[in-house]
Amino acid sequence: MNDPGKEISRLAFDERGADYLLAVREEYGNAGPAFVAKGEDVGDIRTDIPYQLVTILRKIYPYMEDGKIAVVIRRCEEKALNELIKRGIIDGDRIIRIGLACSEGQIEACRCTDPVPSCVDIGSPGKGWNEDQLSKELSAMSSEERLDFWVAQFRKCNKCYACSTNCPVCVCDHCVLEECTFVAEKGIPPGMAFHLIRAYHLSDKCTECGECERSCPAHIPLLTFRKMTNRDMKDLYGYESGDTETVSPLLTTLEGDLLEEEED
Amino acid sequence: MTDFKPSILAFCCNWCSYAGADLAGVSRLQMPPNVHVIRVMCSASVKPEYVIKAVTQGIDGVLVLGCHIGDCHYLTGNHRTAKRIPLLQKILDEAGIDSRRIKLDWVSAAEGEKYQKVVTEFVEEIRRLGPNPLREVRF
Ligand code: SF4
Ligand code: SF4
Ligand code: FES
Repeated sequence: MNDPGKEISRLAFDERGADYLLAVREEYGNAGPAFVAKGEDVGDIRTDIPYQLVTILRKIYPYMEDGKIAVVIRRCEEKALNELIKRGIIDGDRIIRIGLACSEGQIEACRCTDPVPSCVDIGSPGKGWNEDQLSKELSAMSSEERLDFWVAQFRKCNKCYACSTNCPVCVCDHCVLEECTFVAEKGIPPGMAFHLIRAYHLSDKCTECGECERSCPAHIPLLTFRKMTNRDMKDLYGYESGDTETVSPLLTTLEGDLLEEEED
Repeated sequence: MTDFKPSILAFCCNWCSYAGADLAGVSRLQMPPNVHVIRVMCSASVKPEYVIKAVTQGIDGVLVLGCHIGDCHYLTGNHRTAKRIPLLQKILDEAGIDSRRIKLDWVSAAEGEKYQKVVTEFVEEIRRLGPNPLREVRF
């Protein structure tokens, strides 16, 4: 166990009473997820987390019947966790948070505007970015230029679904992107609808973690697209995702009362 | 642009707007051609995914018509629609698809004339915008 490993174990098991710990550790030369029970050796912890641990948490959570799970979370993961709690997917009382501040490099990669977790246990808080250069350039373009840009980008898509698989808040049980009504079953690229439907579906959940963009083998600037549509959501309804209280405007009436849940 | 014949979808809810469209027809009001009316149970049945599918496949304009707020047969179906469509329009704009190609309006069963007006004005607007550029885009 390295020093960060010791510190994280101490925080999780001794100080905060966790039964399990989800983190990232050194595995055969690169980073892998570690899920250990109290008393087990967590190994050599790495803080350069290569994906969203909350995505992994969401996938193992249904199989974890009891116990408290400590998770190492950055600010974006904290927001994703809040969205999952708000939507009743995860019980917040069973999760113990160990806050990790992102490095300058990570902040830059995401052009992140909100990089500091509400409780910093590891690392030192960095300064957020003000704007995403590409969003700015795209907003200044004419509609035709913008369409050309995105058509050229989306043509590179090979429909690998890495963007949705790695997204911490892509949570529907039945994905419409797997329905041939919207996305042709055969052939690539999947067309523009694929990306617009994703943008719409994530508009009230996306935390701007940048995982979709990092996972995309075609290097499509998906995070920029998300940042643009998140800004629209904010302009239109004053809504920002990432807390446990604010209900999505898409789930309320014009007066703000909760709508009935929709059937699939 | 004079020979441009826009192809337009008009989603009309069964309880108000479709009846409004019917009334317009029965009253023999002059209506532009090329508007394909699709009857749906409620404006909230028009999921944004359908609108996205239509515009990305080259439809020039999509009208979504429902009951006036307060009159929805399912009480709050049109509230859902009223929240969804403006957001969808913004998302389409970000991708470079002119959001004026999508229009949401309310038409009651008694408003045959309003139906005619909304449809005619929308067709005019789409004529001015010209064909949907995605018609020519092959993915
Ligand atoms: S940035 Fe991408 S992966 Fe992250 S929450 Fe938003 S859509 Fe999902
Ligand atoms: S990760 Fe990139 S290539 Fe894969 S489906 Fe998403 S956008 Fe397409
Ligand atoms: S039934 Fe007309 S909008 Fe709902």
